[in-house]
Amino acid sequence: MEQSKIERWERELSKCIRCGTCRQFCPIHQVLDDESYTARGKLHIVDKFIHGDFLLTDGFVEMLSKCVMCKACTANCPSGVNTYQIFLEMREEIVKERGLSFTKQSIFRALHWRKFFDFGLTCGSLFQRLIFKPAADGHGQVARVPLPMAGFNQRRIIPNLPKKHLKKMVPLTAAAKGEQRYRVAFFTGCMLNYVYPQIGQDLIGVLNLHGVTVVTPKEQHCCGTPLFTSGETEIASDLIHRNLEAFGKLDVDYIITGCGSCGLAWKQEFPHVLGEDHPDYALAVELGKKTRDISEFLMMIGLNTEQMQPLPLKITYHDSCHLNRGQKINKQPRQVLQAIPASTYLEMEKADGCCGSGGSFNLKYYQLSRQINQQKTEHIAQTSADVVAVGCPACLMHIKDGLAQDGIAVETKHIVELLAESYGLHQQNREVQP
Amino acid sequence: MTITAAVLEELKAAVGSQYVSNAEEKLMVYSFDSTFQEHKPEVVVKPHTAKEVAAVVKIAAAHHVPLTARGAGTCLSGGPVALQGGILLEMTAFRRIVELNADEQYAVVEPGVITNTLIAEAAKQGLFYPPDPSSSGMSTLGGNVAECAGGGRGVKYGVTRDYVLALELVLADGEIVTVGNVVDGLTGWLDLPMLFTGSEGTLAIITKITVRLLPKPQAIKTALAQYDHLGDAAQTVSAIISAGIVPTTIEIMDQMTIAAVENFLQIGLDTTKEAFVLLEVDGELWEVEQQLEQIIAICRDNGAVKIEVAHTEAERTALWKARKSISGACGKINPTKIGEDIAVPPAAIPAMIQAVKEIARKYQLNMVVFGHAGDGNLHPNIMTDKRNAEEMERVEAAIGELFSNALALGGTLSGEHGIGFMKAPYVLQELGPAGYKAQKAVKDGLDPAGILNPGKIFIEQELE
Repeated sequence: MEQSKIERWERELSKCIRCGTCRQFCPIHQVLDDESYTARGKLHIVDKFIHGDFLLTDGFVEMLSKCVMCKACTANCPSGVNTYQIFLEMREEIVKERGLSFTKQSIFRALHWRKFFDFGLTCGSLFQRLIFKPAADGHGQVARVPLPMAGFNQRRIIPNLPKKHLKKMVPLTAAAKGEQRYRVAFFTGCMLNYVYPQIGQDLIGVLNLHGVTVVTPKEQHCCGTPLFTSGETEIASDLIHRNLEAFGKLDVDYIITGCGSCGLAWKQEFPHVLGEDHPDYALAVELGKKTRDISEFLMMIGLNTEQMQPLPLKITYHDSCHLNRGQKINKQPRQVLQAIPASTYLEMEKADGCCGSGGSFNLKYYQLSRQINQQKTEHIAQTSADVVAVGCPACLMHIKDGLAQDGIAVETKHIVELLAESYGLHQQNREVQP
Repeated sequence: MTITAAVLEELKAAVGSQYVSNAEEKLMVYSFDSTFQEHKPEVVVKPHTAKEVAAVVKIAAAHHVPLTARGAGTCLSGGPVALQGGILLEMTAFRRIVELNADEQYAVVEPGVITNTLIAEAAKQGLFYPPDPSSSGMSTLGGNVAECAGGGRGVKYGVTRDYVLALELVLADGEIVTVGNVVDGLTGWLDLPMLFTGSEGTLAIITKITVRLLPKPQAIKTALAQYDHLGDAAQTVSAIISAGIVPTTIEIMDQMTIAAVENFLQIGLDTTKEAFVLLEVDGELWEVEQQLEQIIAICRDNGAVKIEVAHTEAERTALWKARKSISGACGKINPTKIGEDIAVPPAAIPAMIQAVKEIARKYQLNMVVFGHAGDGNLHPNIMTDKRNAEEMERVEAAIGELFSNALALGGTLSGEHGIGFMKAPYVLQELGPAGYKAQKAVKDGLDPAGILNPGKIFIEQELE
């Protein structure tokens, strides 16, 4: 490790007073009840590691990878230790020393080559019936055989992969309804592009209705979150570079995201991952300032409540970690939901608790991520809500899976889906999904 | 090495092999508590029942292996640090509230239950468990009993030992016994629950706890008084106590603490003031209103220049905000915060605070003083940098002087954090040779081989 990094870490590590507050906030510790997974436990070993008193053992690598990167320890640390950043950079050290695991390597290489990834997931949608079968309730599918390497056990319910991707379904420029107030670019992210394109369509529709023209650049890539959170910064930097190139040349007022992690990546992580010396650094900072989460943006420009039709639903809301602790967006989604006529908003207990998804974490530690999820589904059930709304498609997929497996009849929807319903956008012509 | 492969096998047979680990990383993360001391155990064992604990104790006894119990590891005196290696007994799997009896107002809990969990569950039944150490969000009740934890409500409600009615214990020979009862906790006989409360795992391992609960107070009133002179604030505390008023809480913060919090939060605290005193009263509504009036009058008479009273829950939270943020705020002054814990008679608080200031000056250290002043419990905190060896030496010397001063003022080494091994060298000074021998006799009687948490409280002392 470079000396400057060691010194920066030393300063950060010496702030830890070992009070153990992280014990009560860490979702992994809550389930495993083991000091090995608390921030203070890991920081203690990191401290030994940077001084050469401890080597990168398998056990230590396991401790660092069993983390959902939910930022709960960071946000609640009374001494303000930036644990998130240390664990992120520590993962980089692991990759430097050991390389990535084979599964991750394969997925990440594919992410890097967008066309190949596009092709892979399109094939996936055509051949998915060979490997997966429809789930009992008709929503989504379950694996016919266990696929442990890809994190799919046989009970897991994953969504049907659509035949067409969002970027192929929507025009490059979707014009504002009526007079144009803003012109924005839509960063879809992988989940909305490949898995939930109808949510992406809803997002565009809702924006159009607000007098916003939406540009959806075709040459956008994965935001890189699954890569840099795994310590792989080289490919991540390249993806970031390509995204900055694609969006930097556009003449738009804002960049809009509908995913907690993508938004956080644009707002904060891009400059972090690139570093101050990178030629794209200034552009990353500039575009980061232009980035808005969809709820944040709608409340900023003024939510159109006049055209809303009543939705007689009881709605609760789950805070995505990267939206809430990452981007500090927690009021706006609730304000949007509470504006829907005839609906009842019900706050759940520990709405800001992690759902257990953790991005690629749930592929590697599916059982653990389900155990964390169990608390979430219990809290959802306690509210007696009809729908749990989320602002992040990764949470959506994981909560949907959890509710189905726990036999809880509550629907999981992205905020923009509910908005689109209320605006009557779903009755209008739209490409029908498989 | 005291743990042989054969002992390891015996332990695995006793609790299940997945609950026995001697992986290096595991030993490292279980090598410390909330102090800066660390010592690795040789094996971490996680039992789930009293019988398993008894089996582990018997193995330890048979092989003369040291045994240290640990809850959440939030101790502030090194209590759960396995100073002589051996077995670290992780007690967090004992997390059931066995019984919560609203009619007879008591609760039976396992030692791994988090303090706040009991407080919250009791509140649901209209009941109240008063001891609330600052770590109550993560500390376990087993740890609270072992260290006799206190908290902000100590002035009126006392500390953990005032609530322990009965304990189920595993003694050093592996026998399981229950001491105390739910009726009166055993009075008119040797008060055994009290003997084991605060014994820091040196006499037995706690496997079940029965605590007394109180009816939840109807009303709470909070006030914050500001002072131009620290001495006036300290005087107020003594005056309130001697006037016969019993507030729930009297917290004091000195100027450096206020400045640190303001620097951290920027909420507009007046950093020109030398001290803040936070006061809280609870009880029946008429009662708290009357008490609050008296308290405000006493504050004014003793030089308070500004007094704020909270009328809503939001205002109460606002008044508490500064106090609750001290820990994090101090981290900004200097990275390493060493929190000490002493208690003196309330009348001696002005003198003790003066002494702290002089010690800070003498050793050129950044020291803040705050604490539960109502029961004389002060937390002088030294802001230092553990990477600076020379300064750490001055810190050690300053701490020694702090203890001597507290004792000279008729005080005690621990308000609520326990002795552990960090204060063990000063025990003789407080107890005197005869007192020390008496305590040692109890220890030797219950744990003749000295396997339970060796190196704590009872370290070899030069008896005059």
